Amino acid sequence: MKKNPNKRRKIISYIVITFSAMIMLTPFITATFNSLKTYKQYTAIPVEYIPNPFRWQNYVEVWRMTDFAQYGWNSFIVTVLSVLGALLSCSMVAYAFARLDFPFKNSLFIMVLGTLMIPPVVMIIPQFIIFKHMGALDTLVPLWILEWLAQPFGVFLMRQAFLSIPKEYEEAAKLDGCSPLQTYWRIFMPMCKPQLATLTIFTFMTKWNEIMAPAIYLSSQEKFTLPIGVLSMSGAWFGKEQYLVAAALMSLIPILIVFFFTEKFFVKGASSSGLK
Amino acid sequence: MVSPYLIHFIVFIAFTLLASLYFSFSRYDMLNAPQWIGLENYNKLINDPVFWKSLWNTVYFTVLFVPTQTILALILAVALNQSLKGLKFFRIAHFIPVISSWTVVLYVADAIFNPRFGLANDLLVKMGSQPQQWLNDEALVIPVLVAVAVWKGIGYMMVIFLAGLQNVPEDLYEAAEVEGAGILKKFRHVTVPLISGTTFLVLVLSTITTFQAFEQIYVMTGNSGDITAAGGPNNASMVLMLYLFQQGFAFLKMGYASAIAWVLFLILFVITLIQVKMQKKWVHYEK
Repeated sequence: MKKNPNKRRKIISYIVITFSAMIMLTPFITATFNSLKTYKQYTAIPVEYIPNPFRWQNYVEVWRMTDFAQYGWNSFIVTVLSVLGALLSCSMVAYAFARLDFPFKNSLFIMVLGTLMIPPVVMIIPQFIIFKHMGALDTLVPLWILEWLAQPFGVFLMRQAFLSIPKEYEEAAKLDGCSPLQTYWRIFMPMCKPQLATLTIFTFMTKWNEIMAPAIYLSSQEKFTLPIGVLSMSGAWFGKEQYLVAAALMSLIPILIVFFFTEKFFVKGASSSGLK
Repeated sequence: MVSPYLIHFIVFIAFTLLASLYFSFSRYDMLNAPQWIGLENYNKLINDPVFWKSLWNTVYFTVLFVPTQTILALILAVALNQSLKGLKFFRIAHFIPVISSWTVVLYVADAIFNPRFGLANDLLVKMGSQPQQWLNDEALVIPVLVAVAVWKGIGYMMVIFLAGLQNVPEDLYEAAEVEGAGILKKFRHVTVPLISGTTFLVLVLSTITTFQAFEQIYVMTGNSGDITAAGGPNNASMVLMLYLFQQGFAFLKMGYASAIAWVLFLILFVITLIQVKMQKKWVHYEK
């Protein structure tokens, strides 16, 4: 009698999540098949879902005939610089908040809290004007520089991590003659690898996929990152839409690979962002 | 060591907030210095039909999107919150849309909603109904965008709920079972009250972000990244952020765009206040 409701729950759960997983994956599968078609197959009516044969050369041609590699390189630069900046600046600021004493520490931390509440919408235009005066329009700088200035989400994440480290480590380090900076770099950073990984992956995902900032700041084609680069192709590739599908899916591959290897940190980051 | 944050705060937050407030009372095209015009931008805004339409669309989008995604994500999280075979596969399946950019989603969603050869119309025709224009249909464009947004974001929200569910003690369910509660009763009387804190947080955060939604509509209703082409058909998917962008970055009316930004900010502020007030009423706190 006691086992029955549990078993029924499992069966219902399987049905629900299988159905939902199908909805999640069907569009990707259909799109992947679309990317392997000729234009004639792509627009065929009645719909030809699975092309025969697969035109893998669509992917080769996207690589060869468009600026895809250039867009990919730009995305790579922006993402790597952003990740480095976020790791260094967030952990440094978080360490100060978690472990050091300095004037106005509490009011400053309330300010960090407050900045999380300000909707980005009111800052977009003045930020654009600041970058304009810096002569940074149509460069990649505005896309990564803010990550070097400690974004609040990362500061929170790292502060929580540092707070959970017992005081004894710090005292032992002090006895051994470590300065606060050395303690931070040699002892605290290595102990917080999981949180650093979470921050890396989240910054990676945000920057790799970002559209708003590149759409505002970039105007010349050779500076475009992947999302807006692929988006901008559609005008010139009219009548060859299957290539666009291939290009879009190709831009997903790097982050997909990263995701498969770091899935558990993704999940950790998502759940901690709900608690911020 | 906090200097990165100090620079961030002073230059990019405090300064920008003041500047943006000042711009909203000015005429500013970025070529000439901003010129103080008092309330003129706000006056114009009140009489601007496209502004009202985009405000309405924003509200409509949010009201459709937030509850749908929250409820579905909660159901999925409850289903996944047990030891099932293939758990990792299911989690990954729901996370692939989360890690995709909107450009990827544009072409992936096109496989379904393309009016000529998409899966949705193919199924409709096979079932004997009329094919639809989906994103090109004034009445359908927002529901379709919402459906795609739910599809893309649900995995993320599901994981937040899963974290909340993991804090619900198992013995409460057992106690409910002893009293003869079925699956639905347990969900209603144990799960829902105990994760009301998480639910509240999710609702506040997703309302705020949905009100500022931009990328999806810019990508999915536009044409190769041309901002003036997005928001169609006939402004049926014009939302506040998109309108702000068009006014500011396409037509260089930075003052007017800043006024839109501050109206949006005020609305968000009021919504958050209301939500915080309501929190006391229906969020269950353990005594």
